[in-house]
Parts: sequence; C-alpha cells; structure tokens
Amino acid sequence: MQGSQDMEGSDSAFVFEGNWKDFARIALPNLLLTIVTLGIYRFWATARERRYLWSRTRFVDEHLEWAGTGMELFLGFVMVILLFGLPYFGLSFVAQALIARGYEAIGAGLGAIALISIFYLGGVARFRALRYRLSRTRWRSIRGGSDSGGFLFGLSYMWKTMVGWLPLGLLVPWSMTSLWNERWSKMSFGPFAFEADAEAGGVFARFLLFYLAPFVMFVGMLIMGGMGMLAGYGIGGENGRAIGGIVGVIGIVLFFYLGLGLIAVAFYAKFYREVVGATRWRSLHFSFEASTMDWVKLLIGDALLVVFTLGLGFVFLSYRHWKFFMTHLEAGGEILLDELTQSQTRTAKHGEGLLDAFDMGAI
Amino acid sequence: MAKACSTLSTWARSEPMDDAFEVPAEWYDGTNALRHSGVLRWDGRGGLSLQASSSRVDLNAADLRFGETRTDRTLYRRESVPDFRLILPNDLPPGLASQLPGKSEYGAWVDKLGLGKAAAIFSAVSVAAVALFMTAPDWLGPRIPASWERNIGEAMVGDFGGRICHTPEGDAALAKLLGKVDPAREKVRAGIANMDMVNAIALPGGQVLLFDGLVQQAESPEELAGVLAHEVGHVRERHVMTALLRQFGLSVLLAGADSGLTNGAVGLASMGYSRDAEREADDYARARMAQSDISPLGAASFFERMAKEHGGEDNSPALLGWIASHPSSNERAKAYRDAAAGRTAYPPAITDDEFEALKTMCADDPDVEEFEFF
Repeated sequence: MQGSQDMEGSDSAFVFEGNWKDFARIALPNLLLTIVTLGIYRFWATARERRYLWSRTRFVDEHLEWAGTGMELFLGFVMVILLFGLPYFGLSFVAQALIARGYEAIGAGLGAIALISIFYLGGVARFRALRYRLSRTRWRSIRGGSDSGGFLFGLSYMWKTMVGWLPLGLLVPWSMTSLWNERWSKMSFGPFAFEADAEAGGVFARFLLFYLAPFVMFVGMLIMGGMGMLAGYGIGGENGRAIGGIVGVIGIVLFFYLGLGLIAVAFYAKFYREVVGATRWRSLHFSFEASTMDWVKLLIGDALLVVFTLGLGFVFLSYRHWKFFMTHLEAGGEILLDELTQSQTRTAKHGEGLLDAFDMGAI
Repeated sequence: MAKACSTLSTWARSEPMDDAFEVPAEWYDGTNALRHSGVLRWDGRGGLSLQASSSRVDLNAADLRFGETRTDRTLYRRESVPDFRLILPNDLPPGLASQLPGKSEYGAWVDKLGLGKAAAIFSAVSVAAVALFMTAPDWLGPRIPASWERNIGEAMVGDFGGRICHTPEGDAALAKLLGKVDPAREKVRAGIANMDMVNAIALPGGQVLLFDGLVQQAESPEELAGVLAHEVGHVRERHVMTALLRQFGLSVLLAGADSGLTNGAVGLASMGYSRDAEREADDYARARMAQSDISPLGAASFFERMAKEHGGEDNSPALLGWIASHPSSNERAKAYRDAAAGRTAYPPAITDDEFEALKTMCADDPDVEEFEFF
C-alpha cells in the first residue's frame, strides 16, 4: 500500500489505453438503439461511451471510472423540458399573442426576457455540466464535485460575457479566462478544491489575430481573385474570364472560411494551453500540450473520417476527442493518498440536462 | 465500515480453504484513496470476505452491484456503501461467478431482451408512435371542440390589436357578402386586415381575414365572394385545427419544444392546408355560391389571373400562404368555370357601391393600426 504518488520524472500521468475496435462495439449498437428509439436511447448511449472511455484511461496507477447512468441523464433532460422548456414556450406564446394584439413593446419585452433567461441558463448549464462530470468521475473510488449550484456563476457568465464584447470584443479573452478561473475554483476533487489563475494576457496576442484577419483576408482575397482572373485569361476569351471569375470566387470563399477557422483554432489551442496550465489541484499542476497543428490535424482527421464513411464515422468523434484530450493532458506533482478522502459535496440525482438541451461541450 | 480489520482468529480456526475458494482482489473502501490488495474468500452461500494484511471487510454477495468491465477486470459496487469499489479478475471460478451479479451492458430493458429483439420491439413501437404523431392532426383536429378552438384562437391573436378595418358601410357590405356564403346561424367572424398582401387566412376560432392587398386587386365582388367562401369552408370543415396541430407538430420536430417564432401570427400567416383540405374548401365555396346564386366566374377569373402572375401549373414554393399551398390555379379556375356550366348571367353578389365600400374600407378607417411584424 503506497502512501503517496510522485509523478515527477515518470511517463505521462494520463494514459489512454482504449482502441477504436473496442469502441466500435460500443458505438455502433448505440447508434442502432438510438435510431430505433427515436433518439431516446442516446442518454444511455452516452453513459456507455463514457464508461468505456473513462475505464480505458489510466491516471498514474489506477483507471478512471464513470459512475453516471443513462437514466439520470434522461431525467436531467426531462427536467429541463419541464422546468425551462415549457415556461419558455409559454412566454414566447404570450409574447406573440401580445404582438398580435398590438402590444408590440410588451411583447418584445417578454421575448427579450425569454432570451435573457436562456443566456443566463446557458451559463448555469456550463457550470453544472462540469460539476456533474466531476461528481461522476471516480479515481480510486474518490469523486469530485462542487458545493455551488452554479446560479451565481450564471450571473457572472452574463455580465462578463457582455462586458467582454462591449469594447469591440477586446475583453473577450479576459471574460473567457476569468470565467474559467471562476468555474474551476468552485470545483473540487476529494476534499480539495481546484485553483485556477489563468491570465488574459497570455492569450491576448492570439486573440488579436481576429482583428488582423480582415486585412490579411482582404489581401488574400485580392490575390486569389486576381489569380482566378489571370487563370481565366490564360484559358482565354469571354468564357475563360467567366471561369476564372468563378474560380476566383471559390478561392475567396475557401480562403475566408479556412482563414477564419485557422485563426479560431490557433486561438483556442493557445487558450487551452493557458487555462489548463494555470489550473492546479492541491500540489498537482496540469498542462495541456496540444499545438495549433495538433488541433488542425484532429479537425481535418474528423472531417475526413466523417466524409469517407459517409457520415457513419461521426460516432467515433467522441472517442477521437477524448483520446486527443487525454494524450495532451499532463499532470505533475504529488498526491498524498491518505489525505485524499471522499468528497463531501452534494451530488445531484440528475444529469447535465441543461447542457444537453443546449448542446454544448463540458470543458 | 472499512475499519473492519479485526478478528482474523476466527478464520484461523476453520478448515484450510481450498485455493479455488480464494481469488486475488483489490478494493477501495470509499473513505479515502488507499488501495487494499488482498484476496476475496467466499463460503459458497453468498458470504464474502475481503482480506488484506491491514484490513478485512465482510460483505454479502447480494449487496454487490455490477459496475463496469475493464480490460481484464471487473468492477463491482456495494448497494449499502455507494463509494465502495471492488475490483476482481475477469476469469473467476464458476462457483464465485454464479454468486456475483451479472454484467449489465446496454441498460436493463435491452439486457433482458437481447440487442436484436430489443431493437425490433423498439422499431415497431417507434414506427407506431411516428404514425400516430403524423396522422394525429387529421383525426384529432376535427374532434377538438369548437369552443376550445375559439379559446385557442382568442389566446393566439385576440382581435389583432385594432388592425382590422372598419367603416359602417364596409362592415355592412362584408356582412351581406358573408351572409351569402355562410348560411349558418352563428356566422364566422370576417374582417379585412390592414395588410398589403394578396392573401386571406382562416384563423383558429372561426375567424376569417381577407388582406387589404387582396381586396384592392379584386376586379369584382364575386372574386371576393369566392375567396371568402373558400376560407369559410376551411372553418366549417374544421381544417384550421388540423393545420394548427400539424404546424405545432412540425415545429416540435424541427426545433424541439421551442416554437416561439413559428407559433405566433407569423406562423399563422404561413400555415398551410393539405390539398385535400383545399379541394374540400373549394367544394364548400361552390356549393354555397350556387345556393346564393353567386357567379363562380369571378373566382375563376381570379385564379386565371393568379396563374398568369405566378407561372401557371406549378405552385411556386417560395410563396407562402394562401396562393402557394393551394392546388394549381389553372386547375381551380377550370373547376369554378365548370361550376357555371356555360351560364354567364348572374345577379350581382353585392352592389357596386357596397363593393366600393369594401375597397375603401381600410383607407377610410381613421383608427386602424398598421400591420407590421416587429
């Protein structure tokens, strides 16, 4: 029986040991059952997938365990429909009815309230999804959790996001890192809280790429368009010019989307390196080492996989993303096993219903 | 619970255990992260005990729950101690394996039935549910009491916020026209909406609206009579509730339960009827017009004009609402023309003055509100 785990100098603390063939035996029956149940099975499918992914992931010397169930995810979904879906539906109905009667201002006001509550609940949902995942993740029988319900975080989420966008979006990096810190600082694993002090300064330079984009794109477009035109002249005649023009336009559109996508990837790659690197738990420090190129490879791989399997490959995306995440996640430091006692946080009996309804990722 | 590291002596007294009654085991007591490595012994009657150098746990096989399968091991939980974890090798002696809970793979129902059987049963239930959902508007719509429909209509649009045009002369002319195409004692409510669109709608709750745009381009009162009779037909044949249910069902399918935008007045304007419903409404219109001796030729020329403007045979799908969802204009023009059976002389449905009152109704109403969506 060891009293502590020292990870300095050893191999990666997180090792993923799954393989896609085993995962296919989980994912393909899941797909079948999800289809024949008109989607209802997907909650159980999610639980099965996570059980597999977690159990094939080793942290130091013990595998993770996913202790969540499909039923609780289903209940979470039903709760969201009853508690938020129906009131939202009713509010929208009343708003429309008021507008039809000529009370445009009140109607629009009610509509705005509905939208604002969605905004607020989106923040709460992000918090609760993370809390749910931590509370269902076990390592050496110990789980995580949070004592907060995330309702205050929802308010922070609203005002920080709004403030982030106000000065031409310049404070978006601040709002993102600050929300990351706030959310993770409220989380714990076993008896100890996470700490996060990510700084916006670390990602700000990358964020400025978004502002540079229009200029780079404009020049790029001129070049692409011009090249198209020249190619057209090469073919010759009216037809040639038309073809050249079309080639040019396609080039511009591709350049635009790929360029913007690339900037977004570059930013998020940096963002995750920064925020994970600034997150600690007790004496453990984490790092996430995926470069922009790693992300690009992951996304291109995703796209190719889905296209060349005529869409069927999408069931493997969660596998690929988890593997990517675990491959690049590192941890260092020391864990004292005797002091790592069971979490005393309350656990919700339902799953991440809100987030599921809004279809967002957790981390 | 896990402080049970007491009397090993009771075990020392018993017979030496057969090797088959002992397997290596690891467990966590759930209070901390310390791993206990030792052996699991069992007595053949469901009593199990975990023994390590530092601790001993007695437990009952009936208390164990299957957790998950790992690469070469299986994880069990305890019902009475939710944080407890027991990890056993996969190749257990049959005597022990038979006492442990079976694996659960897909979830209780599917495990019980088997994947193939479960998939077949789920498919059948799903097909039935989809069929029920798809056909519900047709059989449920007409069965919803008219009073409910009126309440729904009231809730959705009320009186349209004063955007219905009123002048004494116009109201009288409209009432006269309506009386000819809606002989029932309790009339539908008809109005001319201050909206510049060539369209007309039947709303939930027996309310029919002609849009001012349609009134303006009408060349004879008979044209208006045809359109009005058609919309009254939708109300009398109970098509509105069916269309409303279908619209609701579609929005549920398309956007989950969130149908805020498609559900209000905008949605009503784009609400479509099936072609069969359109034919029924046309049949109703022709029957009423024949009863009241109104010329169907007006309606015929209206459709001929529509056919010319909107490309004839095919319905332009880009056009929402009344024109687009109807059977082809040429076909309908022919049906109305056939209804006249060569007769051309009919008494006018309303006088020229009354027709003029309808045309100027919106312009002359000083109180009418503009119709604008946001």
